[in-house]
Amino acid sequence: MSSLATACRLSARLTARQLRQDSTARGFRTSAACLAAQNFTMPALSPTMTEGSIASWKVKEGDSFVAGDVLLEIETDKASMDVEAQDDGIMAKITQGDGSKGVKVGARIGVLADTGDDLSTLEITPEEKEAEAPPPKELKETKVTKPVQETSASTDKPSKNVPLAPKGKKRSFPSTPAVASLISANGMAASDVEGIKPSGPQGRILKGDVLAYLKTISEKSAKDMATKYDKRSTLTEFVTQGAYAPSDKKDDATPPPKAVVEDLEVAVPISMKAVLEVQKRIESTLGVFMPLSTFIARATDVANDGLPRPKSYQPSADELFNDILGINKVVPANGIRGSFLPQIGALPETSFSKPSKPARNVDIIDMLSGKGLSSRVARSKSKPGLSTSVNIFSLKVPKGDEKTAKIFLERVKTVLEVEPGRLAL
Amino acid sequence: MFRSLLVPRVAARSAFKQQSLPTIFTPAIGRRGYATSEEKDMVIIGGGVAGYVAAIKAAQLGLKVSCIEKRGTLGGTCLNVGCIPSKALLNNSHLYHTVLHDTAGRGIEVGDVKLNLAKMMSSKEDSVTGLTKGVEFLFNKNGVEYIKGAASFTGEHDLKIELNDGGERTISGKNIIIATGSEAMPFPGLEVDEKRIITSTGALSLDKVPEHLVVIGGGIIGLEMGSVWSRLGAKVTVVEFQERIGGPGMDVELAKDSLKFLKKQKINFKMSTKVMSGDASGDKIKLELEAAKGGKQETLEADVVLLAIGRKPYTGGLGLENIGIEPDEKGRLVIDSEYRTKIPHIRVIGDCTFGPMLAHKAEEEAVAVAEYIVNGHGHVNYGTIPSVMYTHPEVAWVGQTEEQLKEDGVTYNVGNFKFSANSRAKTNLDTEGYVKILADKETDRILGAHIIGPNAGEMIAEATLAIEYGASSEDIARTCHAHPTLAEAFKEAAMSAYGQPIHQPPNVRK
Repeated sequence: MSSLATACRLSARLTARQLRQDSTARGFRTSAACLAAQNFTMPALSPTMTEGSIASWKVKEGDSFVAGDVLLEIETDKASMDVEAQDDGIMAKITQGDGSKGVKVGARIGVLADTGDDLSTLEITPEEKEAEAPPPKELKETKVTKPVQETSASTDKPSKNVPLAPKGKKRSFPSTPAVASLISANGMAASDVEGIKPSGPQGRILKGDVLAYLKTISEKSAKDMATKYDKRSTLTEFVTQGAYAPSDKKDDATPPPKAVVEDLEVAVPISMKAVLEVQKRIESTLGVFMPLSTFIARATDVANDGLPRPKSYQPSADELFNDILGINKVVPANGIRGSFLPQIGALPETSFSKPSKPARNVDIIDMLSGKGLSSRVARSKSKPGLSTSVNIFSLKVPKGDEKTAKIFLERVKTVLEVEPGRLAL
Repeated sequence: MFRSLLVPRVAARSAFKQQSLPTIFTPAIGRRGYATSEEKDMVIIGGGVAGYVAAIKAAQLGLKVSCIEKRGTLGGTCLNVGCIPSKALLNNSHLYHTVLHDTAGRGIEVGDVKLNLAKMMSSKEDSVTGLTKGVEFLFNKNGVEYIKGAASFTGEHDLKIELNDGGERTISGKNIIIATGSEAMPFPGLEVDEKRIITSTGALSLDKVPEHLVVIGGGIIGLEMGSVWSRLGAKVTVVEFQERIGGPGMDVELAKDSLKFLKKQKINFKMSTKVMSGDASGDKIKLELEAAKGGKQETLEADVVLLAIGRKPYTGGLGLENIGIEPDEKGRLVIDSEYRTKIPHIRVIGDCTFGPMLAHKAEEEAVAVAEYIVNGHGHVNYGTIPSVMYTHPEVAWVGQTEEQLKEDGVTYNVGNFKFSANSRAKTNLDTEGYVKILADKETDRILGAHIIGPNAGEMIAEATLAIEYGASSEDIARTCHAHPTLAEAFKEAAMSAYGQPIHQPPNVRK
């Protein structure tokens, strides 16, 4: 099955590559998600972080890793922090080596590939900013076997292009009234607006930024203002940021919960057929129309009852002691009441234009046969909205909770597919 | 009918329990002696604004939460003996004062006006009870366990609780939040009995209007309670050590004007004066005063003395020594920016740690701390925490004062608009005060907003939002404000910060 999946993906990639050469198919290559490899960018470890230095990489090029592995250590002016992998994969390329200083948030520091990807045939996605500029032919030639980019090139670029806002996120905020008025009063084109360096919270363009762009005031004034604002937003009394963060989790007898909890996605396809039948029956006999959402809400309610404790649950002293004695962990009699709320999306037709990354082990056949109910069904596989046939019910849960989440989803499935009639009562 | 609807779903539920959750009973061999202890995801000590908000937020984020409160009612100082009851008295005493003195000019003729203090107090109690019960209801609905008792640490994860109903229990938490709040600062030599020597708590429930109330401390609490009793007929004298009222956070210009307005309301002020000693043994309380810079001495006789010189963190009885957490020199518990103490799973929020002692600041921290624990990130912007003094006229501000800007060496524009030029204020016959907006000279970004006038406390929300979003004064000026409203004064002040106001001659003050 996996070889079939690989074949499918390969063909998908080939198709995509073909499309990329075709200049009419621009739409297909604007999104990095379509490509096999993913740029790994400098993460923002705190809301105020704008740049950081790479202390050391904990993985080498070509190393594979699983979600939760420490990839590298980043130093900011405030603290040094480990960056963990959000997903399984391979470190295809490191573009910013150990000791790189002052790397802007959002700038590429490496390239990640999927587990099982062949690095020698892997395409390296150029930095997103550049992706739009060079003609398609150049793209084809960027292979991992060659040095993709000089380090200097990739450090220069982001400092020019990457604003304080996280990379890849287009500014979607409406212009403030003053900004809009200045833009139109000075007859600025959209491209000019792109060039304005935002200094506002979350990368917003402020009036001062436009004035600085127009050289009415010095650029420094706008920047200084932002710095001062950041300084005032915290209390001077606080001990340094994260100073009391738990440093070594293994030393603690009962470690506190991890500061950053990664989210995993758990998904189950559920057919709405039975529900629709019941819905029709109710409508014809009682004349009452029950929307699908009511069925789903009730099924969720029922399934949330008496769930086993999540994995991330820290066992109590008693349980640990029993564990030492070799007595199996006690499942509490009533379990706990969950508060899961599934995301629902319709399952679309098979599409080759989206060889999306996390779908590696599951394909549409797996899903329909109900076999490969892996915990990693890609969200991009489903379209938002409710379909009348098969829908993907997915949950984002912290790591460790995925078992509980799966039990929950299986229950929702049973209720909706086997006996939705009960829900109508 | 309804019952019959419910039964099948309940049955469906229990069917699941049977199917997928086979219960396994293990013989309790070698249990360690924690028979009554249970572990929660989060245990919160203190059911005040910080504590109860953190409890509800954490429960909403899916944690199993217990909240321990020894007062007997939730809501802490704010709901029980602070913000809420004082606002009830402020509003009603203002109405009384208005009816007594300010109706003839408005065309309302009133007969005998009498004060029924007991009734005023019971209406205050009603508001308080309604709100504290409301919080209890929210606990219930969010599945937060509410434990009435006093907690103390026996270990880094373990708490012992002396229950209010007698008895004792233990509880342990993966995360423990200390949110025990603050108490009034005592004054050496004056023993608080809450009858004659009172704190803000006693000032909210005096059984008769005192003849002469002396307020030690001209900060927000002193001025609000002084206003209440002055409106109800007491002679009020405020003794303040500084040259200015309102505490260190208030813009000096507003402090001066506020003093002027309050003096007009017949409140007496002794500025730059310190209280040397007090003697409560006689019929009247004798206070020895002295000019702050030394020299002139005088004696003041009072029926009731209100101590309002500030508040201090309240962390007594927590057994912090058992886990090695020590307060700093001001009694505050030391934390990092994610509210962790040096024991990372114990966090502190609200009045018992750093920052201004304000309910809304505590509330922000409460939401942030729950989010830090569950999601790993939270947000409190300490640069945009507003302050309000509910005297008449109200005083409200957010961001920096002119003095702070001067100190920082920031050049700024001042936009100023008087309520006497605002149509709504004019129709209300309530035109004291103005809006002052401070914006950076170059970028026009709003750095501070200071309002003295009717409804200042409500209007400050707009300024806070503006600063949070990095707005310029032009942004405000170009935003439509409804007419006729007091908020138009805010817009016009913004206009005058970067350009010129419409309804006021230009350059009244630049």
